[in-house]
Amino acid sequence: MTGNHVPASAAGMNQTVALTINGVAVNVHAGVTVVEAAWHGGVPKVTGIGCMEGVCGSCRIIMRRGKVVSVGLACQTFVEDGIEVIFLPPASAPRHHYELTDFKDGWDIHARFQDIFPEAARCRHCNGCNVSCPKGISVEEGVAQASAGRFRDAGETFFECVMCELCDGACPELIAPAHVGLFSRRVTAHFHLRPPNLIHRLEELRQEKQDKPGIYQEDKDE
Amino acid sequence: MSNGIPFAEALARYRSDSVLEPLPEPVDVEALINTFHPDHLRDSVVKLTVGANAGDSCQRKLAELLQAEAYIDEADLAGTPVTDADVLVIGGGGAGCAAALMAAERGARVLLATKLRLGDSNTVMAEGGIQAAIEPEDSVQRHIQDTLRGGHHAGDPELVSAMAEDGPNVLRWLIQQGMQFEQTTGGDLHTRRAGGMSTPRLVHCRDYTGLEMMRVLREAVIQHRSIEVLEQSPAVELLSNETGQKCVGAVLTSLLNDRLRIVRTRSVILATGGLGRLHLNGFPTSNHLGATGDGLVLAYRIGAKLCELDSFQYHPTGLLHPSHLAGKLVTEGVRAAGTLLVNGLGQRFIDELQPRDVVCSAILRECNEGRGIRVDDQHVGVWLDTPRLERAQPGLLEKQFPNLMSRTRIAGVDPRVQPLLTYPTLHYQNGGVVIDTNGATTVPGLYAVGEVAGGIHGRNRLMGNALLDIISFGRRAGAAATFNRDRGPKKVTLEHVNRLRRALTIAGMPMNNRAPQVLPDYAAGGTWKR
Repeated sequence: MTGNHVPASAAGMNQTVALTINGVAVNVHAGVTVVEAAWHGGVPKVTGIGCMEGVCGSCRIIMRRGKVVSVGLACQTFVEDGIEVIFLPPASAPRHHYELTDFKDGWDIHARFQDIFPEAARCRHCNGCNVSCPKGISVEEGVAQASAGRFRDAGETFFECVMCELCDGACPELIAPAHVGLFSRRVTAHFHLRPPNLIHRLEELRQEKQDKPGIYQEDKDE
Repeated sequence: MSNGIPFAEALARYRSDSVLEPLPEPVDVEALINTFHPDHLRDSVVKLTVGANAGDSCQRKLAELLQAEAYIDEADLAGTPVTDADVLVIGGGGAGCAAALMAAERGARVLLATKLRLGDSNTVMAEGGIQAAIEPEDSVQRHIQDTLRGGHHAGDPELVSAMAEDGPNVLRWLIQQGMQFEQTTGGDLHTRRAGGMSTPRLVHCRDYTGLEMMRVLREAVIQHRSIEVLEQSPAVELLSNETGQKCVGAVLTSLLNDRLRIVRTRSVILATGGLGRLHLNGFPTSNHLGATGDGLVLAYRIGAKLCELDSFQYHPTGLLHPSHLAGKLVTEGVRAAGTLLVNGLGQRFIDELQPRDVVCSAILRECNEGRGIRVDDQHVGVWLDTPRLERAQPGLLEKQFPNLMSRTRIAGVDPRVQPLLTYPTLHYQNGGVVIDTNGATTVPGLYAVGEVAGGIHGRNRLMGNALLDIISFGRRAGAAATFNRDRGPKKVTLEHVNRLRRALTIAGMPMNNRAPQVLPDYAAGGTWKR
């Protein structure tokens, strides 16, 4: 058994932990997350909290333990004695712009990628993105796969990405790895996902509906 | 709830290879629900006094907000900056993004305002999947029948038909936006059967379906040239024309600096989601922090008709522990994959793939009658027997439910070895704002889509119909909202607020409570003062 599923009261979690959140001193009992600690301590202006289960990527924090600085998600970080936590502001607007409908076809993806994300080829393997990822994604590898035109593999590497964009902030080359990952996933679906069972049903529905068009038009063919 | 089998004793007794007795004879489902479902708790429901639903049953806590004073009056509007847009979408989850994208595709200038961060929603947490009738043995008709039956025939057949017919096209649109789905080796979309479905119909992206949908739609919205996004900007009031009969905009505030902003528009699409964070009847919730029912309050105040305000879905398997995940879900997909529910005596007690309200009621029955597993006086639950699934299909949990595995891993629990302790959690608002097949409410200029809208799921929603509902009606409303090509509002007023104030005064109702709630009290942290 890897762990015991016991309530806080039984697990010796009654001891108090002292930390700071956005500079405010907070005392809470061990075993709670930084989000719960911020509420408990009445820390003002903590606006970046959402799902509280580590999938929305909103509650980005930077923290210092002694001399070690790291980033993470507040809802996935448990309080520790002496830790200093700052909630980060929302990420700034993306610098890489594209619309999938502007792409000619699947042959066009790689050239477009080079235009949209020119920095991706300049990765200096500093490992900053890897250590910043709260989901343990091999971000650098994903960027390399995308740069090599292996978008399906790159998308798979980024499968657990929650768009916290902490890797974007960590990258000295401004590659925006999170958006490289999402680009890779999106082009894979947009150009290559053609499931026969869905296509067959769409065709059946199209034939049924031919005589009775509503205001809600069928999607046009690409 | 002080009875039940103590946790340590139940865990010591638990065996993943025990021989389970067959299920007891099927019970009377109606009686089970009427006795144990939280909607039927004594004193939890009151009658509304004022507004379009006066005389209708409503959950007490919601009724207090629907019949509350507004934040804004005429003095607040003077000197407030005005932004113009063709379409205002309020809410940045799946429904809001779908509506915004559709309206923008039709050439509208769209403003999308969201209380939290774009994509910060219940959509992102949906794990199980999205329903669409695409398998050869399935049909749109069967999807309609299952949905109506699951909702106890309280759903509007016209809305249900519209949604089910959209299903395959919704999948196509999502793929065009760049969303991936699980495939079979032959390239078909992989389907599962879940609670209340007569045949496999649940399309999914492992157990991250909502996350995959949300991050794709979020990116599509951010990248779209005709959509402007305002984050941390909750709507605190709608605006009406001189007669208070038509919706012509909204008043937004900012969580960052409390500044108001007037948005003047031809159409407003409410996509504000549900109200789990009101913690009805004291239940935990699976919902994200912003789910405080704001859209219902705004719609009701401007005169929109609502429905099924006394009917909420409690998801059967919320986690009871660890405490920081209390109320968070174990997806129904885990039961769809074959996981059983077992009480503290090691007995099965319900067919796990019955609709959610039935399974939820059965769990509450086990807990109330002393067959639950007791952690402490406040916390009793039942086992979700994941180790047995792991024995039967080794590796399945890791492969198909990475989300569940990673969430429990940080808490030091391994569901392959230890069963998960679960208890029902407030999950979904079955009813909401009355809409037609365009998502239009009873108030001209006002649309409602997603969880804030009602009439589709009757009194119980099936798994996978929420993700379909938000995209289907999101797109419909987004398209319909652009049909309105008038010259826009001449004047924006708070006539509807005055109307409600008069009604409250005549009814002798208290006016000291203000709504919408915006954030739960425990999380307000000085960001939102009422």
